[in-house]
Amino acid sequence: MKRRFRRTGLALALLGLALLAGWGLWALLADSDGGQVQATLSAVGAIAGSDTAGYARATAPRPFEFPRDHGPHPEYRTEWWYLTGNLDGPQGRRLAYQLTFFRNSLAPEPAGRASNWDTNQFWMAHLAVTDVEGDRHFVSERLARGAVGLAGGRASPFRVWLEDWEMRWTGSEELDAGPAPGLFPLELRALEEDWGIELVLEAGKPPVFQGEEGWSQKGSEPGNASYYVSFTRMPTRGRIHLGGEPVEVEGESWMDREWSTSALDEIHLGWDWFSLQLDDEREIMFFELRREDGEPETLNHGTLVAPDGSYRPLHYDEVEIDVLGRWRSPLDGAEYPSGWRFRIPGEGVDLEVFPVLEDQEMNVSVRYWEGAVDVSGKGVDGPVAGRGFVELTGYGETPAVEGGSRGQR
Amino acid sequence: MRGRGNFRGGPLLRAGRRHLTRHPWQLGLSILGVALGVAVMVAMDLAIQSSREAFRISSETVTGRATHQVLGSVSGLPDSLVAQLRVEGGVRAAAPVVEGYVTSGLLPERPLRLLGVDPFSEGPFRPWLAGGPGTDLDGTLLMTRSGAVFVSRETAEAAGVGEGDPLSIQLGGEVFDLEVVGILDPQDRASRMGLRDLLVVDLAEAQDRLDRGSRLDRIDLILPDGAAGDRIEEGVRGLLPPGTRLDPAGSREATMAEMIRAFDLNLTALSLLSLVFGVFLIYNTMTFSVVQRRGSLGTFRALGATRGQVVGSVLSEAALLGVVGSALGVLAGIFLGRGLVRLVTRTINDLYFVVSVEGLALPPEILLKGGALGIAATLLAALPPAWEAGSASPREAMSRSSVEGRARRAVPRAAALGVVLSAGGVGLLLVPTLALTPAFAGLFAIILGMALLTPLATVAMVGVLRPVAGRVAGILGAMAARGVVTALSRTAPAVAALVIAVSVTVGLGIMIQSFRGSVVTWLDATLQADLYVSTPSAVSARADGELPPHLADAARGVAGVIGVSTYRGLDLITDYGMTRVVALELDPRGESGIDIMESRMGADRLFAGFRDGEGVLASEPFAYRHGLSPGDTVRLVGEGGTLARPVLGVFRDYGSETGTLMMSRSLYDRYWDDSGVTSLGVFLEEGVAGDPVAEAIQQAAGATSPVLVRSNRELREISLEVFDRTFAITRVLRLLAFGVAFIAVLSALMALQLERRRELGVLRANGMTPGQNWGLVTSQTGIMGLVAGALAIPVGLVLAVVMIFVVNRRSFGWTLEMTVGPWLLVQAVGLALAGALLAGIYPSWRMARTSPAEAVRGE
Repeated sequence: MKRRFRRTGLALALLGLALLAGWGLWALLADSDGGQVQATLSAVGAIAGSDTAGYARATAPRPFEFPRDHGPHPEYRTEWWYLTGNLDGPQGRRLAYQLTFFRNSLAPEPAGRASNWDTNQFWMAHLAVTDVEGDRHFVSERLARGAVGLAGGRASPFRVWLEDWEMRWTGSEELDAGPAPGLFPLELRALEEDWGIELVLEAGKPPVFQGEEGWSQKGSEPGNASYYVSFTRMPTRGRIHLGGEPVEVEGESWMDREWSTSALDEIHLGWDWFSLQLDDEREIMFFELRREDGEPETLNHGTLVAPDGSYRPLHYDEVEIDVLGRWRSPLDGAEYPSGWRFRIPGEGVDLEVFPVLEDQEMNVSVRYWEGAVDVSGKGVDGPVAGRGFVELTGYGETPAVEGGSRGQR
Repeated sequence: MRGRGNFRGGPLLRAGRRHLTRHPWQLGLSILGVALGVAVMVAMDLAIQSSREAFRISSETVTGRATHQVLGSVSGLPDSLVAQLRVEGGVRAAAPVVEGYVTSGLLPERPLRLLGVDPFSEGPFRPWLAGGPGTDLDGTLLMTRSGAVFVSRETAEAAGVGEGDPLSIQLGGEVFDLEVVGILDPQDRASRMGLRDLLVVDLAEAQDRLDRGSRLDRIDLILPDGAAGDRIEEGVRGLLPPGTRLDPAGSREATMAEMIRAFDLNLTALSLLSLVFGVFLIYNTMTFSVVQRRGSLGTFRALGATRGQVVGSVLSEAALLGVVGSALGVLAGIFLGRGLVRLVTRTINDLYFVVSVEGLALPPEILLKGGALGIAATLLAALPPAWEAGSASPREAMSRSSVEGRARRAVPRAAALGVVLSAGGVGLLLVPTLALTPAFAGLFAIILGMALLTPLATVAMVGVLRPVAGRVAGILGAMAARGVVTALSRTAPAVAALVIAVSVTVGLGIMIQSFRGSVVTWLDATLQADLYVSTPSAVSARADGELPPHLADAARGVAGVIGVSTYRGLDLITDYGMTRVVALELDPRGESGIDIMESRMGADRLFAGFRDGEGVLASEPFAYRHGLSPGDTVRLVGEGGTLARPVLGVFRDYGSETGTLMMSRSLYDRYWDDSGVTSLGVFLEEGVAGDPVAEAIQQAAGATSPVLVRSNRELREISLEVFDRTFAITRVLRLLAFGVAFIAVLSALMALQLERRRELGVLRANGMTPGQNWGLVTSQTGIMGLVAGALAIPVGLVLAVVMIFVVNRRSFGWTLEMTVGPWLLVQAVGLALAGALLAGIYPSWRMARTSPAEAVRGE
């Protein structure tokens, strides 16, 4: 008779078990898709887009006029103020920085709302500091729309800012008489919580108008070009913050000013860009567009700047670049070239270019590699050393964007 | 020899089970009772949880990962503040938000939340805005295209729109098209739920559409932890304009959720009543089964079954009933919950805030809790009869009279216990606190105490009724009356169940009636103006839009208008929690509409002081909640500094349970930068018709901003409609509770009569006709019904008093005028009588059909 008792007990126990099991299953199912979605707003979308209707195009050379052309050109889709520099601290401490302001017109015109927030202007800025001794590379990115004082730019008095990052002319009321009046002395201030830069740039060499009088063809289609001016050597002083006491620094900077509506062709995967400052007072800029089909690109070009500031274009077939080493990104496994042999046979130039730090990858919305390099070898007049910056895009998982993309030169 | 181990429990259990299966009616009804009780409780729980969950998830989804929020006062925040915070304040993540509610003809009865954000500030805050992996949402489209909107997949599908389609939107009487440029399709379930009925647009779009000008509703912040965060927070506070709050994220939502706590607790308590009746039913059934099996239980005891075995067998029967009933109840509760959740959310939308519930949340803990409570309550209810079955000695158990003898002896003891319980309940109610739980505990103690008092009251009343019944219906009448008392062990629970069921119905009825009566009186007094002008609201029953700025002056200029009052009402988070702040430009004719309940000065001085901004008026719930009396000072942080004014008077108001502070418009304007007007009260010259004036006002408002003009009669009707809607759920619960109670009574009376088969058979054999038989049964149940009905009236009144003066006061802070309609009392007796008579029909019919010989033969 105990069996009956047992059976009832068993039934109750089973029921309890079933309830518990159901609960467990429930909890399991409820949790299985509870993961957090990790994503940031696509900045690619913000800058890409091949629809160029309604924008101004860089179809022919144009006269540059300063200070007007220091300021933004919102009728073009993409524009940047691209600053890089190699610096020395006390006791030969080696440092480098990058500060870039990108401006983008998201549409030819604003939507036309009454609100103060109504704008078609989008700003993005990248800040990086390389500390060779500390084997550190700091990176930060900011985004904002160009409205309500969050971000913007103006030609005179020159200022470009995104939140509290800014670059601005700190000259007196009077415009200077240099070849690019209204820019120098140029103050850069971009501070994160415990690192950042506070630098003042002086006019060095006169501006270099890249390509054909500053009109730089980047794609085979008409209008796939940019207006492109470089300031290739600007004496720089100031402070680098790396946590703790700021480091007093001195060195030389390079700035690229470029604006366009579309530049690259569909076939381009990305580009490798070199800016080299040699101790024979020469500078070299050269970029290589990498084609999907592996064919050499006849659009590649650059500039060789002489000590007196005069310069001459470098054509695609004048420069030979061989990759000497590779570096794999720990972030996404992308393989970047790391170390080059850079030759201009016609000038007798034969240089080796190596990153001061392998990992200078920019972990921002769209990943790329941008870093300080050391240069040594043979220059135009014999042995030479130097420093520079190299930019490598289109290697990461994030595909290069068709049309005009952010980091393209 | 009796002893453990000598007797095996099997036959005992089998006998018990057989007893149950041989009384299928009783079995079915008790399972039904438990099931219904559990179902109502579970359903209510689910409905409340679902609405709370939906609110929490949508708040959390919209709040995203913000740690803090800068909340604007009345006029919002200047939109330059975002740049200040990010440039000067060193705040890295600061996302501006403008939001409001709209509706769409494509999604009827679903208020849609229009959320305006800056896509480029959103990265760290609302990850769902970026879409899931593989999706390609382009936030810049919101920015660059006028009317561009993102909607969630579920909402898009419900509205039947896809990417590129127009979505027609209504806002304050205006209709416009948005264009769907992206579908939000987050991968996680919580975000999907939270995005229901959400329309994401660009900040600029929201500012334009919602007429915000250059103002923001709030700025979400992510501040770092620790010292750095504290330093930034300090800096942020320094930048905020006066009247602005910097609160931890979610505190606003928590304040809002707090608003519905009392509402939830009331509903939960009401739903518990159903379970109480269900338990009653089990008690009844088990008592019967024990009484009926007295003989066989006695035999088992004589054969050596221990007391424990008998108690165990009775309890295991109850457990079986409890498990089956509770399981059915949980299932039924899920279905019932689907209906209730709609009633609950509609009330919350009407009275508190907008919440959109996608469906019933089914948290397993609620289902388990419901089931466990059902089983536990069943076992608890079966404990006294089980104890009774076990405690009798074998000889005693076989004699029936002993049971009744003991039952009668228990009457005074039960009554004494009842008095103690009721007194304890009253004591709980008298504890000076604002907490609701002791109020409900006291209420339940009183109900239980009253139930324990019913046997005594029944005996007393039957003592009075017996001679009357004898005179009216002869010997049969006297027999019927005496039968109630002689079978007290079975009649008393039935009568008690009936008394409680009817009294709860009466009590709730009186409460609702008094409430409604008070609101009607208040509305009649308050609605002094002839016409009321407001904007059509997208969502709630409350006026919340802003009228065109010139409308008040325009209305004053309309022929036939002799005065206009303007009203500005806003729900603000203040140091008093969520508070309705009302700015009133009061026409003297409207003064009598404010019913001052408490003041230290005459009406003339009070209104003069009010007009001059010397003080403010506090609504009764506000004064009650914050312990304020006339003369006490109220402090509010405004945009122009801190307002500190004495309370001039406390006025009657059923409009907001969180409390209203009323001040003159001029005082309000000194502290808040806001020219908005929510509604107008228009006074007409004697004899002027309302319609032409209404038309003139509508014309003055213009076609682009249509306004509603309603007569005081219309407004009164609409207000009462909302009132009735909010009480729909209370009515449903009352009905459900009564349903369960009715089943309990039915089951008890039927069992009682069926058990008397043999007794009635003897009477039949002695020459009683089937008609007389019918009369005997009916008059006995009738007497019980009458007794129950009569007892239910005082008990119901007591319950009504407790609910009106303790529960309601504590829940909502309102004083209600108690009104007792005679009709309700007649209804009570009628209900009890009808229920009792109905319960007598089946047994009489069955008795009439069986031959006396069959009936007498015995079991």
